[in-house]
Parts: sequence; C-alpha cells; structure tokens
Amino acid sequence: MGFVAELNGVSHRYGRVAALQEVTLKVPAGCMAGLIGPDGVGKSTLLALLAGVRRLQEGSVSTLGEDIGKGAARRRLAPQLAYMPQGLGRNLYPTLSVRENLHFFGRLFGQRAAERAARIDMLLEATGLAPFYDRPAGKLSGGMKQKLSLCSALIHDPDLLVLDEPTTGVDPLSRRQFWELIDRIRDHLPGMSVVVATAYMEEAERFHWLAAMNEGRVIAEGSPKELRSRTGAETLETAFIRLLPHGEKQEPVYLPPRAETQDLTPAIEAEGLTKRFGDFTAVDNVSFTIAEGEIFGFLGSNGCGKTTTMKMLTGLLEPSEGETRLFGAHLASSDIKARLEIGYMSQGFSLYSELTVLQNLRLHAALYGIAASRREARVREVLEEFELAEVGEMLPAGLPLGIRQRLQLAVAVIHQPRILILDEPTSGVDPIARDDFWRKLIRLSREDGVTIFISTHFMNEAERCDRISLMHAGRVLEVGAPSDIVARRQVASLEEAFIDCLEEEGGEEDAQEGAPVYDAESRPRSPRNQRLTRLWAYCWRESLELMRDPIRLFFALVGPPLLLLTMGYGITFDVERLSFAVNDQDRTPESRGLIAEFVEIPQFQELVSWSTRERLDERMGRGELTLALEIPEGYGRALRRGDVPEASLWIDGAMPFRAETARAYALGVLQAYAARYAAEHGQGAAPLVEVETRFRFNQAFKSANAMVPSTIMLILMVIPAIMSAVSVVREKETGTIANFRATPVRQSEFLIGKQLPYVAIAWFSFWVLFAIGRWLFDVPFMGSLSALAAVSLLYVVASTGFGQLVSSFTATQVAAVFATAIISIIPTVNFSGLIVPVSSMSEAGRIIGLAFPGAWFQPVSVGTFVKGFGWPEVSAQALAIAGFCLAYLVAGSLALRKQER
Amino acid sequence: MQTLRNIGRLTVKELRALRRDKVMLALMVYVFTAAIWLVANAVTTEVRDLSVAVVDEDRSPLSHRLTDAIQPPLFDPPVLLSPTQAAEAQSQGAYVLVVSIPPDFERDLRAGRTASLMILVDATAVAQAGNGAAFLSRLLNEEIAAYMAPGESAAAPVDVVFRARFNPNLQASWFTAVMQLMNNVTILTLILAGSSMIREREHGTIEHVLVMPVRPYEVVVSKILATGAVIIAASALSLVFVVQGLIGVPVTGSLWLYLLGAGIYVIAVASIGLLLASFTSNMGQFGLLVIPVIIVMFLLSGGMTPLESMPDWLRTMMRIISPSPHFVAFAQAVLYRGSGLHLVAGSLVAMALMAAVALTVVLARFRKVLAG
Repeated sequence: MGFVAELNGVSHRYGRVAALQEVTLKVPAGCMAGLIGPDGVGKSTLLALLAGVRRLQEGSVSTLGEDIGKGAARRRLAPQLAYMPQGLGRNLYPTLSVRENLHFFGRLFGQRAAERAARIDMLLEATGLAPFYDRPAGKLSGGMKQKLSLCSALIHDPDLLVLDEPTTGVDPLSRRQFWELIDRIRDHLPGMSVVVATAYMEEAERFHWLAAMNEGRVIAEGSPKELRSRTGAETLETAFIRLLPHGEKQEPVYLPPRAETQDLTPAIEAEGLTKRFGDFTAVDNVSFTIAEGEIFGFLGSNGCGKTTTMKMLTGLLEPSEGETRLFGAHLASSDIKARLEIGYMSQGFSLYSELTVLQNLRLHAALYGIAASRREARVREVLEEFELAEVGEMLPAGLPLGIRQRLQLAVAVIHQPRILILDEPTSGVDPIARDDFWRKLIRLSREDGVTIFISTHFMNEAERCDRISLMHAGRVLEVGAPSDIVARRQVASLEEAFIDCLEEEGGEEDAQEGAPVYDAESRPRSPRNQRLTRLWAYCWRESLELMRDPIRLFFALVGPPLLLLTMGYGITFDVERLSFAVNDQDRTPESRGLIAEFVEIPQFQELVSWSTRERLDERMGRGELTLALEIPEGYGRALRRGDVPEASLWIDGAMPFRAETARAYALGVLQAYAARYAAEHGQGAAPLVEVETRFRFNQAFKSANAMVPSTIMLILMVIPAIMSAVSVVREKETGTIANFRATPVRQSEFLIGKQLPYVAIAWFSFWVLFAIGRWLFDVPFMGSLSALAAVSLLYVVASTGFGQLVSSFTATQVAAVFATAIISIIPTVNFSGLIVPVSSMSEAGRIIGLAFPGAWFQPVSVGTFVKGFGWPEVSAQALAIAGFCLAYLVAGSLALRKQER
Repeated sequence: MQTLRNIGRLTVKELRALRRDKVMLALMVYVFTAAIWLVANAVTTEVRDLSVAVVDEDRSPLSHRLTDAIQPPLFDPPVLLSPTQAAEAQSQGAYVLVVSIPPDFERDLRAGRTASLMILVDATAVAQAGNGAAFLSRLLNEEIAAYMAPGESAAAPVDVVFRARFNPNLQASWFTAVMQLMNNVTILTLILAGSSMIREREHGTIEHVLVMPVRPYEVVVSKILATGAVIIAASALSLVFVVQGLIGVPVTGSLWLYLLGAGIYVIAVASIGLLLASFTSNMGQFGLLVIPVIIVMFLLSGGMTPLESMPDWLRTMMRIISPSPHFVAFAQAVLYRGSGLHLVAGSLVAMALMAAVALTVVLARFRKVLAG
C-alpha cells in the first residue's frame, strides 16, 4: 500500500475559529512523515482526526485503509494504532511508577500478564528506562517522560504511530536519543508508519516526507530536500519562511556587534545561586556575570532550572544559598526599588485575560508608579512601538499568539527598565513573528542599552545572543559566546556543542544500542477476557491514583463522617433549654402556682425575672430570652373571684420553628394547670376525653433517631457522586482521556472500571457512618442489617453512576464539583424526606424526589434503623435503586464520547 | 500613599475581572435571587399538608364530625383505613399522623364515661410530627367540646394571650429567607475570594504582579476589598428587593448597621477563603476542600437550628473557630428584632477579632502561597 492516511477536503472549526481548511493530503506509508509549522496552524487537529480521536466535521479521512468516520472501522483500527498526544508526558499518570504506567497500557490492549511483563522489560531495556522502573512518572525528566510515552505507545506493536510534537521542550541529547530509538524500532518493524508533528525545523531534516502547514492549510509537501531546493534555501527554517505568504521579503535577523564597554558595574551578577525544594535541588550553585546592554541567552530543556533561576533573579523566589547583585546592589526579595529596574516576562501568557490590552497596559503603568501625568503618553508610546494600537480595546484571549507575546513584552518594558528577564518568550510563535520579536529585543539592547536575559530551548535563537549559558539538571555546563563554545568544543553547531556537554556530564540514562526483540508471542484471547482486562486496567489504576492523592482521599474518607457529625448536631429539631423569664406583678400564691407549672417542665430554663417592657425588649432583642410571662396585678384576686384573669406570654418569633414548639409546650403547661386548678377547686368534672399521643418508631421523639438515617442518605448521595464526577473530568483536564480515545477501551469498561474504587470507598464510608449513627448518636437499630448493607451498596453504585453522568457534560473539575453538588443536593435535601416527609409534599415535589435515588433510599435507611424493616419491606426500593444504577450506566455510556469534538 | 493607590488599582482590576467572569456572575445572580426565593418557599418546618389517616371504629356522628374537622392547610384531607392497613401504611411512611377512634366512642362519652382517643405519630418526621400532633390534639379536643356542649366555652381558668414578637404569625419563610441570604453570603465569599487567588496562580498572573513594586499585602487587601464590596452590595440589594420586596419579610432593623456587620464578616470569611486557597494548587482541589467547610460553617451557625440544641462543647468550639454563629446572631438581632449597635456590639467584636486573626495568618502565608 502506498499511503497510510488519505485526507479529502477536511475542514475543522472550533467555534468560529477555523483550524483546518479544505485539507486534501496523502501521507505515505512505511516511512517517517512529518508535519511542520508553528503553533496553532492545525497540526494537532490533523493528527487527532487521522488517529480518530477527534470527531470529523467535514471531508473524509481514511487511515490504514479504514474510513475513520465510521465507529466500527475505528474499533477495528484501534489495536493497530498508537497515538501520543502533545505535551510532555500528557498521557502518562504522574503518580504511577514507570512500570505501573506500562502495565496499565498493556492491559488496555487486553494483554495477559506474562506477555505484558516480557514486553515491558524489553521496552525498558531498549529505552534505557530500566533503572527507573519504580520512579513515579511525574518525577522523570522531560526526556525520560517522552521515552516512557513512546514505550506506552509501542506496547502493542502498532502499524501506525502518531506522535504530536514528541520532543518539544526536551534537551538536545534526549531528543537525539529519542529519534535514534525510533529509527531502531523502525528497523525492527519495517512495516510501521510514523506520522510526527514538530516545531523544530532541524529535526524535520530526518523525516522522509514533510507537509508544511500554515493557517489550517498545507502549503507544501515533499521530502526535506525537495522543499529546500524548491525555495533555494539552505535550511528548512528559511525554506519554511519563504513558503509563507510575504515570507520571501523577510530579511534574516542581524545582530550588530556590541560597543565595548569598560569598567562598568555588571548589570547582573549571580553568585553561587542554589535553590532547593525539599530534598530536590532545582538550581545548583549557578554563577554568572552579565554586562550592561548584553543579550544573555539561557539555554536548556524543560525542567532544568531555568525558570527557577529567573525567578530568583527577579526576587520572586528567595535563593536557598548564594546571592544576586543588580548593578552592584544586593537583591533582597522584598526589595521594592530594585523591581523598578526589572521587566519580567514569564513563560506562557500571564497577563490578565479579563482585561483589555489597554487596561492591562494602564494597570501595569500605574502599578509601576509612572506619574499620572506621563502615564497615558507612555501607554500610547508603547502601543505604537509594539504595533498594538489596533487591538487596544480587545481582550488578549482573542489575539494570535504572536501579538500576545508583543503585548507581554510591551508590558515588561512599560516602565523603561534597565534589565529585561524573559522566560521562553517565543515558544510556539511562528518564525516570522519570532524574527520580529528578536528585532525588537536587539533594538532595546543596542539602542537603549537594556540588558536582556532570555531563556530558550531553540538553538537558532541562542545563536543570536551575545553570550549564552548551557544549563542542565540545575547546573550551568558552559558559558560563553555561541561561536566560542562551538570552537572550543570543536564541533559544527551549537546543538552538537550542547550534546557534547551533556555527554561529558554522562547523561542521565544510556539507551542500549540493541534493537528491541519481542519474545512473547501475542496469543489471541477471547474478547470477554480482553474486556475484563481493560475494565480491570481502569479500576486498578484509579485505585492507585486515589491512594496517592491526599486531598481526594481526605475528601472521600474524612468527608462523610465529618458531614454526619456536623449535620447530626447541626440539623436537630429537639427544642430544649428554652430560656424563660417572668414578670410577676401580682405576687400571690395563685401567680406563683402558675409560674411553678412553667418552671416544672424540663424544656424551660428559668432566668432572672424581668421588670419593665424596655428590659424585655432589650433582652429579647439580644436573643437572650425565648419566652416571657407577664402576670398583671390583681391576677390572684380575679381568680379567687371566679373571673378569668388575663396573663401575657411573649415568644421570640425570630426562629419560627423554635417559637412554634415553645408555644406548643406552653399550651401543654396551661392545659395541665387548668386540669389541676379544676381538680383542686372542684370546678366541673374531670375531662371526659383523653387524647393520647403515641410516638411510633421513636418513642423518645429524639431528632437524631430520624435525622441520622436520613443524613446518611444525603451524604452517600453527594460525596460519592462528586468523587466519581471528578475522576472522569480530571482525565479530560490532564489530557489522559486521550488513552481512552485512542485505545480499544469501550465506554462501559471505562466507566465501570473507574466506578468500582469509588463504590468500594463509599460502601466503606457507609459502615463508618452506620457506626457513628449507631454508637455516637445512639440511634437504635431494629431492622435487618444485611438488607440495609445490600441496599446501601446498590445506592452508592447509583450515586457514583450519577456522578459519572454529570461528568460527561462538564469540562473542568470545578464545574464537576459544583454541578454535581448543586444538582444532587437540591432534590436530595428538599424532596427526599430529609425534612418534609415525602407523603406531605405536593405532587410535583414528590415526582421530583422520586426521580432521584435519594427518595427511595431514605425509607430504607430510616426503616431499617428505627422501624424494624427487613428484606420484604425494602425489596421494592432495592429494585428501584437497581434501576437507577442501570439507567445511569447506560446514559453515561451514551453521553461519554469516544471522540473529542 | 502609594500603598493606598496600589490597593485601589488592584481592587478596580479585581472588579473588572469579575465583570468578565460570566459564570461567576450568573451564579451570584442565581444565588441572591432565585435560590433564596426557592429555599424560602420550598423547605419548611411549618406544619402544612400533613398526611393523616383516620381509623374510625366508632362510625358515629361524632366520629364523622371529627374526621371532617381535619382539614387543610394544616392537614391533608384524611383517608379512612382499617387498623391493620393504617399500621402498615404508617410504617411505609404514607401517613405522618393516624387518628384512632375506638368503638362506642360517642356512646361512652354521652354516658359520662371517660373515652380515649389515640393519635399515632410517625416520629421519624421530626420536623413536623411533634407540633402537628399538638395541633391535631387541640383541634380534636375543641371539636369534641363543641359537639358535646354547643355554645359553652371551654372552661379555662386563665386566659393567656400569646404574643409572638418579631414574626407574629410565625411564618417559616421569614426565617429561612434571611438565613438563606446569610448562608449565601458565606458561600459566595469563600468561593469568590478563593477562586480569585487560584485563578491568578493558575494563569501565572500573580507573578507578574509580584515582580512589580507591589507589596503582597496590597494584593491580599485588594482581593478582600473587591470580594467584600461585591458581596455586600449584592446582599443588600437582595435584602431589599428579594427578601423584603418579593418574599415580603418586614426588615425592622437598620440597613446601615447590617452593612457594618456584614462588612466585618466578609473580611473574616474572605480571609478564610484565601487561606483555604493557599492549601490547594488548583480549582478542583479547592472545590473539594471548600465544600465541607461551607457545610460546617452553614449548618452549625445557628441559622438552621438553634445553637442551644447543640452539645455545649460543639457550641463553644463553633463560636471560637467560625465567625458564622456570630454573624447569624448579629443578623437575627438586627434584621428581625431591630436591635441597635449596643445590643450587637459583642458579636461585632467577636467577628472583628476573627477577621484580624484570619487576615494575619493569610498575610503570613502569602509568600509561600504565591510561590505555589
């Protein structure tokens, strides 16, 4: 076959932004095919469409001869395909060790244990990762992460390997090793096709076939040699620039020599800077001296300590050891004056995206203390200088990357600092914008004498600096002018000089020269076994991750008991200790008799008596009194005469439930008083009717006896739902969802696998809650424990399933947390019998309540606790809850998409 | 001077940022309008529409009259059942109250014999069962008295006049509306303050601010000011237009005094929000951490059930660790009882002390917080 993928008229839009426009392309098979171009030109979209992980909008794509638009075709294709998404180790699980990560991927392809172990050993040997077997993926260096990602992609011998910017941000040695590894694997698996996207033009020289992309279109294709000869350029970078519209007029960037300065105090002096985080040394004894007006390049891979060093130079971080001097003066982190000398541009866009371009500039101008009279003029000046005038009223988020970088630079120089510290300012920007950016930097340096400290991982940018330092693993390996370094190392290019340095350091890992050899035959397994293995892959991995995440574990384990305690104590309908005071103006035996009745019952707590209405107002106003009795003068006399005297009882109505109950108690007291008075004075017969009130299921009428079982219902709904919703959305946020999209896993396997650990934890919580309710709150348990335990297990399956359903339409963890909380709390609190009994609700309320599992579980929980329910009484509810479990799983599977939109 | 100006500028920046945050604005509007109205009208501890069954084994004119007397709004129209049906249905939760009228009830009464009537209460409906049974019992007593001796008033030796202060008809919605507003102040202040900090950390904007000649406390104070200003304004509007206007709760106290107390409270809660944010690295973690805190602060504040009903140790602890009980006490005193400054000074001082402590801790942690 000639082509591994064929695209026909493919267009793709994100909202109003067109990512791909009418792309028709044939990617040759059996070779290394590359996509080149800066960020945002549609490379990643194209690869994702080709791998079937993103939904096709327009046009057709066929990969390995299968029409990727069809679900069945994608399922057939999945085991032959490997997709490595963009971003360093983005499809890896940082808390899982190297070995655990690989076992997970092996299981995703349904491999059995022996086969997996053999393949993993072989891959780790081949990539040199074997010594780091047990290290968590999150603690690997960038280069090692990429190798691990590659291992995970190769675990099932794919026919097509799709790599999206696999080496961005990795040091040159690791990068070279990475490509050599790919070459060796290709030697061994000659049928395998590789499709790669890259932003490094140097790297693209290795590929057999290239497609250059710009603004969603393919602008040229062919071998690197063809592209160069077609444009008459010496390097691919220049070739690419010439291929761009208006690219032919671009002049190369020219760095005029620096005027020699003598005897000046250096702008920046770093001496023995060291920074430790715990026992990890991020920056180790770094020293350099930078003269005023110099452009000093800081070259190194991601995670080598560049950013940390820069933060120490700006005073953002306090060094553990060593010191920084700016123009000879010691820099302390609280030094406000020194900050006026520095302009800083951090990695990635870090201005306020909620403010417009102008608002950002004005805010920074003001905060740098530029006098109000000069401020507006300076803002205008900067707008002009950095060609931002047209976008002044726009929000930065809508601007192209190149303009945003200019804006950041404009902000950094708004207060005319003498030193600029720029952290990877040009990453991802297209070559023309990058050259533009450099011309501005050079002008600042040469014309205004600004000292520029710039970090980069592009070699061609480093070549434009006056001097550079090569950094690796927290240490500076070399300092000098680029040409001097190349000469000293006797190599041809800066890249090779860097590699030479790294090799001298001994590298951190040595890949074996041998080619990978597969011993284990992949014997076919029954589809059912494969399904179980894939399900188990997710279940096992989710459990490991959860065990290693303190905040989630805390929430899952401590949350439920904490909630039961606060709600058990916080929502109580026991009205006790009602404060009560009297104003007895009568002072007769009769009045004292009435007071005695009130004092007698335990719910009333008598306080000092009150004297005047003003005192009463004041004490009630402070919330000190709930009940106040006033017996007017002449009360006793009237009573003796046989009249009906009047007395007044004031109740604090601020809290209606308490007032209502207080009134009911007072009524009871008065009834008793009347009965006793009648009996003592022989007036009338004893009452004929006795209305007896008998409390069933809760003789003591204790609030906790009903609230605790109901609260368990609420907690087992909310917490498990939030936990499981977060677990799915987390994968979307960190990007590991790509593994679900690009492997043969099915929706149901993914959901059930991820649900099981949370069901286990939630059921464990049930037992904890049960124990707290039974023994701490002393709620009697009279029913069948086995019935309650079984139904609660069903119930937590339903609540975790509900969380997964919510996760299918939320995109961020915050949204998942709050959406799940709000959606589950409202019906559960209001319509499930927590406070208002379901039988007393309006029809609508009852229907809303019964549409959630809570209203079904509440009678089971309360019933088994205090009503002595057993299996027969709860079976109908159990059945209904089981129905919810199934419905949530089906709805979740339907809502969870195998493809990204 | 520069400090004040910086705080002012950063506060304006916070407000502008908030204006663009459509989700947060929508949440605020919802929480301060619809949510309050819904809660005031939904969950109620008032006795209303209680489901009642009657087991009438007498089938006399009196028993029919008693059955007919059980009426809305307090009770649902009763359903007649046999004794076994009633016991079964009540344990299934179908009826909160069951009135049992024994055979020969009327005949016994007319013959001058003592007759007894039973009200069976499903005591697991703790919020309504107690008062509902008391009301039903009084209702039946009055009805029997009226039937047996028409025209004669029940002989009570004393006439006690009940006067409910501040809420004459004891309407639950008056209480829940204002308390829900107080709870929403707590919830939104925590979320708003915390998320403003985490958003800056996630976007890296905080570094930008800190390389400028801006002191950390200026950032903290501006965040508290912006959050506080927005929340206080929203809560005052909600108090006037939703609570007073729409739900019809008469607010007697001084709005200015309420604003003063709310101001102090919001400073304390916003500081707690920033403190919580300092323990987490992203919004997802913050969400998991803030939910239990919100629930504790809100349920154990006295705004749900009276503080007196909690165990002593818990009441004391909540008064020490959380400003919410003081705020609820303050708000009840000012808004319902119309108390003046001298009556609520204690709560104000307590809240101010907590605000001071929380603010100090946040400032001390701030550098670390920002370094992430």
